[in-house]
Amino acid sequence: MNFWIDFWSWFFFLSLALFAILVAVVTVGGFFDVLSLFKTLARHRDQQEQSPSVRSDEQT
Amino acid sequence: MDLSTLGIKTDFGALDWCIVAIYLVGIVAVGVYIKRYITDVTDFIVAARGLKTFLGVATMIGTELGLVTVMYSAQKGFTGGFAAFHIALAAAIVTLLVGLTGFIVVPLRRMEVMTIPEFYQKRFGRGVRILGGAILAFSGILNMGMFLKAGSIFVMGITGMTSDLELKIIMSALLGMVLLYTILGGMVSVVVSDYIQFVLLSFSLLVMCFLSIKHLGWANIIQTVSQLKGQGGFNPFQSEGFGVPYIVWMFFLGLVSCAVWQTAVIRACSAENVPTVKKLYAWSSIGFLIRFLLPYFLGISAFVYMAQHTSLRNVFLPEGGEADSQVTLMAMPIFLSQILPVGLLGFVTAGMLAAFMSTHDSYLLCWSSVLTQDVVAPCFRNGLSSKSRLLLTRILILAIGIFILVWGLWYPLGQDLWDYMAISGAIYFTGALAILIFGLFWKRSSRVGAYLALICGFCAVAGLNPVRDAVFRLARSVGLEVTSVQAYVEGMPGARWSAIVGLSVIALATVLMVGGSLVFPDRRTASEPKE
Repeated sequence: MNFWIDFWSWFFFLSLALFAILVAVVTVGGFFDVLSLFKTLARHRDQQEQSPSVRSDEQT
Repeated sequence: MDLSTLGIKTDFGALDWCIVAIYLVGIVAVGVYIKRYITDVTDFIVAARGLKTFLGVATMIGTELGLVTVMYSAQKGFTGGFAAFHIALAAAIVTLLVGLTGFIVVPLRRMEVMTIPEFYQKRFGRGVRILGGAILAFSGILNMGMFLKAGSIFVMGITGMTSDLELKIIMSALLGMVLLYTILGGMVSVVVSDYIQFVLLSFSLLVMCFLSIKHLGWANIIQTVSQLKGQGGFNPFQSEGFGVPYIVWMFFLGLVSCAVWQTAVIRACSAENVPTVKKLYAWSSIGFLIRFLLPYFLGISAFVYMAQHTSLRNVFLPEGGEADSQVTLMAMPIFLSQILPVGLLGFVTAGMLAAFMSTHDSYLLCWSSVLTQDVVAPCFRNGLSSKSRLLLTRILILAIGIFILVWGLWYPLGQDLWDYMAISGAIYFTGALAILIFGLFWKRSSRVGAYLALICGFCAVAGLNPVRDAVFRLARSVGLEVTSVQAYVEGMPGARWSAIVGLSVIALATVLMVGGSLVFPDRRTASEPKE
């Protein structure tokens, strides 16, 4: 049983540390991705407004 | 459950309610604001395929780390102890392998499909798409039907609320808010709200784990589990605990939840390009690990807390038997209500309600999109215009919302929720797994094989105890001697029975897919697209 106690203890604390790093990285990186997504959508909306007759998904 | 009868009370107060209210109003306002960016159905369903890696990871974890997952995982930690950690490990290994190899998800992204049934059509034809879409939506909506139930149990446990009517009003209002911003903003609203919810929930989980260890002590947690659960509380291979079939079943479920379940696959379909898909899955493997691991730990902590308080121990860990499933589900929120200080309690509740909402918005969008794109639209010979699809998707989101409100909160279910959820999901994924793997990697797989695999998914309902009992009754009524078999099956732990049924149905679907394809191969004509 001692093997499993040690294994799960290491596994838990290592995962917790990894997750803490992931949260920090994704929080910062995700913020910039949100800004980028809005730029893409705004560009897409402008294109649609300039050529309303050409709807790429009309045929699907 | 009235906490005052147990000699405890929650500190959830006005400040906590204010924090929750500010968060909820803010998240709906963001969703409504985003509506201005939506111009067509591609924007609405897959966010114009503009999802980048970090936002993809946030939204995938935000969706998969739902309140219902936290609740049932905490319950599993409460009943299974540290041995339950193997489920988190299996999920992480499988997701990482999918990320490294691109197994299933990369071919799907290359085909530029929005839903899995769309792949069915490209590979097997329109009929398979319509049937597959209907089964997927049926399974998914039934599966989702219990989310409100789990959410309401959490709110009752953490706030100490006892009025059934107040609870129903609050949960209905929450669902109403999700419906509002999902109908207006579609996938863009979903990814942005998922990002906010990912941040809030992740920090909440980290804080909760830290406070649990600080309050109980790591050595005390290990010692209590060791004393009360013995080796079965740590070793997942112990037959009186989980056992080998359950571990194998968990590896399959890990694959299904990251590469076959539509709400996860739609993230791959929304990704900017193939390298993004791979990176998304590799990073998300940590999320798939954590979404089980941390709630398991909170469940284990709740177990230790209940064991060390006499009044609670009598209710949650009765002598000579197991507490009812509804009672063990409440253990984690009650534990949190006892260890978290005022203010932080509101912050954590907002995080959990964020999880509740992020799962609902993604699932609502997912199943309504499947019904629109894969069941209704293919029935029209000339197709449906983008505007009609958008309108139909929004109407379906509302209809599904009303259904789950009635089904999950107001309708008395009267059966075990975990079994209900596992089986309702298996109706779809047992058949879908075989179709996806063989459809993508075996050129001889045929339409008949796909139909057979899809239909065989319904056999998974045998994992439900009432259905199992009905089968035995039917067998006896036609004169078959099944008493000894029934006694053997009923003597199994419930989790192992569902694992055996699930694995058997996957095996059966594989046999039918291969057999059906070999016996009834497709006859290709010149006009049909080549594979």
